[in-house]
Amino acid sequence: MKIKLFKKGDIAVILVILVIAATFWIYKSQNTDRLEAVITVDGKTVETIDLSAVNEKIIFEPDTNPKVVIVAENGEIYFESADCEDKLCINCGKLSRKGDTAVCLPARTVVTVSGSDVGIMTY
Amino acid sequence: MKKIGTIFAAVATVILIAVIVWDGYFNKNTSTDFFAMDTVISASVSGADSEICVEKIEACVNNLDALLSRHDEKSEISKINNSSIATVSEKLGGYLSSLLDICQKSGGAFDITLGAVSDLWSFGKNASIPDETELQKVLSECGYENISISGNTVTLSSGKIDFGAVGKGIALDEIRTILDASKINEATVSVGGSVLIYGKEAVKVGIRDPYGNAGRSIASLLLSDTCVSTSGSYERHFEENGKRYHHILNPKTGYPVDNGLISVTIISDSGLVSDALSTACFVLGIEKGTELAEAYGCEAIFITESKQIYTTESIASEIEITDSSYTLIGYEN
Repeated sequence: MKIKLFKKGDIAVILVILVIAATFWIYKSQNTDRLEAVITVDGKTVETIDLSAVNEKIIFEPDTNPKVVIVAENGEIYFESADCEDKLCINCGKLSRKGDTAVCLPARTVVTVSGSDVGIMTY
Repeated sequence: MKKIGTIFAAVATVILIAVIVWDGYFNKNTSTDFFAMDTVISASVSGADSEICVEKIEACVNNLDALLSRHDEKSEISKINNSSIATVSEKLGGYLSSLLDICQKSGGAFDITLGAVSDLWSFGKNASIPDETELQKVLSECGYENISISGNTVTLSSGKIDFGAVGKGIALDEIRTILDASKINEATVSVGGSVLIYGKEAVKVGIRDPYGNAGRSIASLLLSDTCVSTSGSYERHFEENGKRYHHILNPKTGYPVDNGLISVTIISDSGLVSDALSTACFVLGIEKGTELAEAYGCEAIFITESKQIYTTESIASEIEITDSSYTLIGYEN
């Protein structure tokens, strides 16, 4: 007697699940190479930028006090100007690698390039 | 037989869904980023209580800021600074006692009464070299010996108490207390670069490139259930007449420490100790700093301006150098 464990329908469901899982895995692995910058104000994301796709200069002026101007161009992102006193955000320079971060404390604004080789940084 | 296959598929599906739901509930991840204590705080918490825990963390740090800030006239620290004698909470009394112990054991290399000297330098604002006469006058009024504690009464004969070098570490200890009282499996918290790794799972901790962006590391090590703090001369600084002046001041001279170090990282069970010792060991230098770290049962990593890395004895083998321009010297007895 021939033993048949699964119906055709069961096999179809399993195949659908496998296809979905494979699609998700391919999507995730492709996105690990993507260079994505995130601008947050007061802990809330206000802009997400695919730096890999940025060639021409894009200017971001989030609603902050003091005012800050953030520029993305040629795969980099940086604070171009800030009305804060210390200008530490501008001194952070151009961010172009995963994990790079620039903070303007007075404007409560953080720019981060997503992803990092480490779990957490001490500085 | 076909029925057996269908039942098997149904049971497997139910188990799969149960596992997903179970995992989603008990390993629920919640993250937050917010500003307090004049810095950025990031927390990533995993566990059934993660959402409520993150709210508690934010409230805790804000409360601590109101307790410890010397720029807040209503804070307990301001009460002490503005009058020579004040009754303080048990919590603040405890912090002060622990910090005075570090002041003494470091031989004054760590001093929590340098507030007025820091103000003269104005790091982070319109920083400039202070007038020498004024600097020496203000410095002569400082000294941890001016603080005495009796029960909940604190007496300060002169100087201004400043928790700037330890507030972040204290916040980590308070956050750990919240996590301990909640259903939390793991968490990572950064209070302006002082970090808490909560839970048994090891986390790769990166040490900042002193010459590069704050997000870039030059070395890393796997750590679990501990606090890590770093003091670096790159944080707040300015240049005048071709010389670089940074914010880590020598309590003996009132001037920035100039001993060839660029950063010191301390690993300790206590955030208060890791934060305070990162400053104290920076001031003391490699040899005496190593002795102090060992006296407190901590691990220390010293990075010099010439990109050499010195460590306490047992941590050397744990460090992975990720930037080849740095050399791991390790422990030197």
